[in-house]
Amino acid sequence: MRLRYVFSETGTGLRRNVSMTVALVVTMFVSLTLVGMGLLLNTQADKAEQRWGSRLQITVYMCNDISKSANCAGGEVTGAQRSTIEDTLKTHPEVRSTDYRSKKTEYAALQELAKSQDSSRQDLYSAVKVEDMNTAYRVTLKDPQKYQGVEGAVRGLQGVDSVQDLHQILSPIYAFLSAMKWGAIGIAVFLLIAAVLEIGNTIRLTAFARRREIGIMRLVGASSLYIQLPFLMETLVAALVGVALSGVAIALFTYLVVYRLLRENSEVVAWIGWADAGQAIGLIAVLGIVLTLIPTLVLTRKYLKV
Amino acid sequence: MIRFENVTSVYAQQQRAALEDVNVDIDKGEFVFLVGASGSGKSTFLRLVLRENRPTQGRVYVAGKEINRLASWKIPSLRRDIGTVFQDFRLLPNKTVAENVAFTLQVIGKPRGTINRAVPETLELVGLEGKGQRMPDQLSGGEQQRVAIARAFVNRPMILIADEPTGNLDPNTSVGIMKLLDRINRTGTTVVMATHDAGIVDQMRKRVIELDQGRVTRDQARGGYGYQH
Repeated sequence: MRLRYVFSETGTGLRRNVSMTVALVVTMFVSLTLVGMGLLLNTQADKAEQRWGSRLQITVYMCNDISKSANCAGGEVTGAQRSTIEDTLKTHPEVRSTDYRSKKTEYAALQELAKSQDSSRQDLYSAVKVEDMNTAYRVTLKDPQKYQGVEGAVRGLQGVDSVQDLHQILSPIYAFLSAMKWGAIGIAVFLLIAAVLEIGNTIRLTAFARRREIGIMRLVGASSLYIQLPFLMETLVAALVGVALSGVAIALFTYLVVYRLLRENSEVVAWIGWADAGQAIGLIAVLGIVLTLIPTLVLTRKYLKV
Repeated sequence: MIRFENVTSVYAQQQRAALEDVNVDIDKGEFVFLVGASGSGKSTFLRLVLRENRPTQGRVYVAGKEINRLASWKIPSLRRDIGTVFQDFRLLPNKTVAENVAFTLQVIGKPRGTINRAVPETLELVGLEGKGQRMPDQLSGGEQQRVAIARAFVNRPMILIADEPTGNLDPNTSVGIMKLLDRINRTGTTVVMATHDAGIVDQMRKRVIELDQGRVTRDQARGGYGYQH
């Protein structure tokens, strides 16, 4: 096989269809970047889930003098009420362990939290006194996903001010991440359809421009691979440029957003890192190449019927 | 070399068959004229030999192989054994004469040494020595057809198919082309030529197969264009 011919034909083809090639590169670039972002969001959601999922605890706050809950009509929780609550929790089949938190412990935790907040809100924290705190039970569950049963069992008890679980706080965040992910992947699918159509158009233009030559090649017995190869190379070059650009975009995102912004400023969750970005880039490279080669092979067969 | 057994060919969405129950046997080294009015089935006959089309019924053998049952990936190798020449030359206008001839060998992956040897040799055979660096549009019609013949013959095929090769040429030039095809035939190459040119057929006195509305109406060993005893 004479590769010189294949390379020169590929070069000619790319120059001839330059606007189509640029369109293909841009579409591949944007769609693959979106797919990559979707993958990263997915990984990030998994990481957050792992971090929080194992620690998801329910906090049962008990009444104090300033509680307004209906269960707190009697003011500060009494010893009897407290032991009922504790018994309910300890005998519940979903509960692994309970941890009693006194007003002092809760106050210390609040002061610790205050340190990480900015100065404008310090007044708010310093105004809170030990007596204002609620005593509480921190409940660790056997299965963090099954929190509703325990919550239901204690919510109605006398002396229980409120029951807080992190699922309520985190689920909108998960929903948001999930929506972003599917949105990105959905848009990417449409763009990939556009990319495949652009490949079809490019092949048609090239097949038309070279119809004389291709006709002769078929007639003198050039193999179909030899005839197809310049077409394959042409779309492959465009796909590789698209993959490279979106790889750079994802790497830049990882560096600027994840490493420079998120990782430095927040340690609430485990953030994605270079390994995850590398994996996403690898996947979009495979996806980009497969999604160009398959339609190219199918369409060249269609337009260059032997 | 070429055998048609009860071949019928019907194009999609057409009532009448382009070829109907054709039985023809062409031996190695023969020179055969295919004559008949336009639409009589000459081109369909040639397309079947090249396996551009498949017969609707019957069998087509080329060089001993039943080609209507040939796997599509084997078609290129069949076509390497067949050279083809057309009325309209079909040269590549942006390549020189030598490049046009070399193109055949390049695209089937022949080594450069072979190409460098075979191209000048073939150009000399067709009478175009020294014109290898010309562009096709600098040549006369006859010379362009010689380039096309050189391109078809450079790979020394067993069969040369010519579809109205003199259709665009004046009578004198046509004679030159016929002499060239005769010379190629003498090297042992089977030549099948479809033509309307009565003068040429009468002059050459070769085997004539006449088609009329898709049927073989005459197959004469040393015939003329019209029927003669």
